[in-house]
Amino acid sequence: MLVAWRYRKRDRSFIQWFDPRAWVMFFLCFGVSTLAFWDIRFLLPFFVIAIFVLATSGLKWHEVRRPFLFIIWFVVFFALLTFLTGRGGAEVYKTEHLIREFKAPFSILGWTPKLDVTVERSFFAVCQLVRVFSVASMTLLIPYSLNPALYGITFKGLRLPDNISYAMDLTMRFIPTFGRDFQLTMDAQRARGYELEKIKGGLFEQVRKLGPLMVPVTIHAIIGSEDIIDAMDLRAFGVGPRTWLVQLTYHRRDYILIAFGVLIILASLVAGFLGYGNFWVPPALIKLAGG
Amino acid sequence: MAESPLIVENLSFRYRDRPGAAIERISFNANPGEILLIAGASGCGKTTLIRAVNGLIPRSYKGQVTGRVLVFGEDTSSWKLSQISQKVGTVLQDPERQILGTKVLNEVAFGLENLGLPRAEIIQRVDEALAFLKISDLRDRDTFNLSGGEKQKVALAGVLAMRPRILLLDEPLASLDPASAQDSLDMVRKLADEGMTVLLVEHRVEDVLRIRPDRVMFMDMGQVRYLGALNGLSKVVNYKEVKLPAEDIVERAKYDKAPAELKILPSAADPSTWKWQSETLVKFEDVAFSYEPDSEILHGINLEIKRGDVIAVLGPNGAGKTTFVKHAIGLLKPKSGRVLVNGRDTKELSVAQIAATLGYVFQSPSHMLFAPTVRAELAFGPSNLKHPKDQIEQEVKTALKIVNLSDKEQDPPLALSFGQQKRVSIAAILAMRSRILVMDEPTAGQDYYNYMNFMDSILQMPGFEAILFITHDVDLAVIYANRVLLIADGRLVADGKPQEVLRDLDRLEACRLVPSSLLALNLKRLPQTGRFMRAEALAHI
Repeated sequence: MLVAWRYRKRDRSFIQWFDPRAWVMFFLCFGVSTLAFWDIRFLLPFFVIAIFVLATSGLKWHEVRRPFLFIIWFVVFFALLTFLTGRGGAEVYKTEHLIREFKAPFSILGWTPKLDVTVERSFFAVCQLVRVFSVASMTLLIPYSLNPALYGITFKGLRLPDNISYAMDLTMRFIPTFGRDFQLTMDAQRARGYELEKIKGGLFEQVRKLGPLMVPVTIHAIIGSEDIIDAMDLRAFGVGPRTWLVQLTYHRRDYILIAFGVLIILASLVAGFLGYGNFWVPPALIKLAGG
Repeated sequence: MAESPLIVENLSFRYRDRPGAAIERISFNANPGEILLIAGASGCGKTTLIRAVNGLIPRSYKGQVTGRVLVFGEDTSSWKLSQISQKVGTVLQDPERQILGTKVLNEVAFGLENLGLPRAEIIQRVDEALAFLKISDLRDRDTFNLSGGEKQKVALAGVLAMRPRILLLDEPLASLDPASAQDSLDMVRKLADEGMTVLLVEHRVEDVLRIRPDRVMFMDMGQVRYLGALNGLSKVVNYKEVKLPAEDIVERAKYDKAPAELKILPSAADPSTWKWQSETLVKFEDVAFSYEPDSEILHGINLEIKRGDVIAVLGPNGAGKTTFVKHAIGLLKPKSGRVLVNGRDTKELSVAQIAATLGYVFQSPSHMLFAPTVRAELAFGPSNLKHPKDQIEQEVKTALKIVNLSDKEQDPPLALSFGQQKRVSIAAILAMRSRILVMDEPTAGQDYYNYMNFMDSILQMPGFEAILFITHDVDLAVIYANRVLLIADGRLVADGKPQEVLRDLDRLEACRLVPSSLLALNLKRLPQTGRFMRAEALAHI
């Protein structure tokens, strides 16, 4: 099947021990705070939290192997890219201490590719890895850990209006239907000799060749939406404030978690305001480089 | 006499963006505990009438209304939709598209949540509705994984929880297998017996007879052509327009000309058009399949599809019919055993290569139509198969001619009527020169008159050497097939001539199929006729 829910109720999962609203709030605080820092001394606690949550989530490696390998690949790729080009870090550090310089033994049109391995560049790449990995792994946990049936009430609980919150539920409800329609169209077109694997050409051409898949799927979704709207109207959707059958209740631990989240974000703000948390290189490393 | 729950007075409606009235001067009333059957062909105005009664017209569908709808004596034109929905409940045609909750509990509670009722009352009403329909065990299930019949009941429970006094059902049987359909109908009878007023829209009149509708209303071109007792219906309507019981058709058809004998599969009878000489086109050798290691879906299927076969594949939902058919067209490859198409193992062939032999028409044409013109749509398959350009030109022209759509060549397929779209999807297969036509539920979404014509014309089309179709409708097998496959629990439980396979009524029942009046009549007459035939033909024997 094309669409399968990743969420499962897991035994002894730390993240699932909390109310989803509390977790979403904590997650937002965590994310914003992490992205406020470049200083590894400040980033490491976040990294530790992310690793702890991951390790206690009850997820099995085989469940998350593919997305995690993707994230790791993605993070390493971008860290390497900034490392090689020296771009991206330029705003957070001004001076560089050269460890070694690599120069290509050839030049192209007068330009000789060279790579300056500096303490700052190398350490910046490490910081970037830690920072992005912390946020990415926490984000990735959400679809595996929060029950999709509770998304609507979670957003309602975060004070979003009824119709926007219910739209979340509705999306969750129709994703599998959409997936099934997509599979049907895929089968129907393959039976007409359409081969997705053989799509070639430029970007524009490739998009055009997806038409046999995208047009029927879209049209089907539009036709289907008429029924969905009728069904909602006929059952009095949107006439007034609605009761949400599912009730979420905060426990003491949820308040603690939210308080912790708020504390983190406040501390980050204060630290940032006082000028802490900028990119920092251990002086010992600079010394090693002879700086 | 008690006040009529529903009175419709001189009601007409014209959609804002369409010419002509969709319904015109409709008047009737419905009594407490009455089941009023509303029959008629596609486009006769049934759905418009339902929308006018449940208030979607004119609130969601704009246009010009004249006349009145009175619910318990009050004109509903000034009511809010939420008010109407507490008196008039509506179950739409496709349960898949009206189930809005991820869980059964949330789905059934949806309307009550919207009304802002207290939580305890919601739970109580939900449990009552589930218990009434005997589906309390589904309460905590995910709605997506329910069967069609279960979905239908859950949708009904969601409506009943709002405690309406009038229930509108718009072709509730369309997406169900016959046994689930009967089950749903029994629920409707039970509701009526408890005082609910039921308006049931259905063009397969025969299928709803067992719940004894009190009256029937026959609509045509937006007007009421007949309103009265059921036994009067067959005298006023054309037996080709609605599906009447076989005995009634025989009675009426006696006085008409005998129908012409179908010349099925002309290409199978004409050796000059054969693609290959071998008589066996497709062969299944001990085919087994599973998606997951421990749960086999198909077990040991052995059969051959031969030239001249018109095969009906019957069986309950989830029995593996579609999985079986997907093996023939190579969308799935067997886990063990093999499938040979024209002598070659499908494991060595791509789906595209197989498409040159077997064409698969899906249930709903909108799952495959995408091109800006009918012509481009038909050229899609052959150009994927790398046919030369001038050959494609010829193939498209021939295909259009066969399905009788030559004048629509430049039209966008999505703007055509449903029946025409269905024919475009067949033509798309014809244009690829596929020799075996495979159809999933060929009659789905069409009314009786249209689908009978559709089947008649497909069977007589030149170009195909064999046809195979999946269906729930025993009558299609009786009328059109010369071979029936019965699939249950992933096994081929019967394979033979219709008169051999369909004779075993117990086995049919075990496969959730419901013997029809036509089957019963054919079995009775079999000693004289020697084969199955349609009711119109039986009338002349």
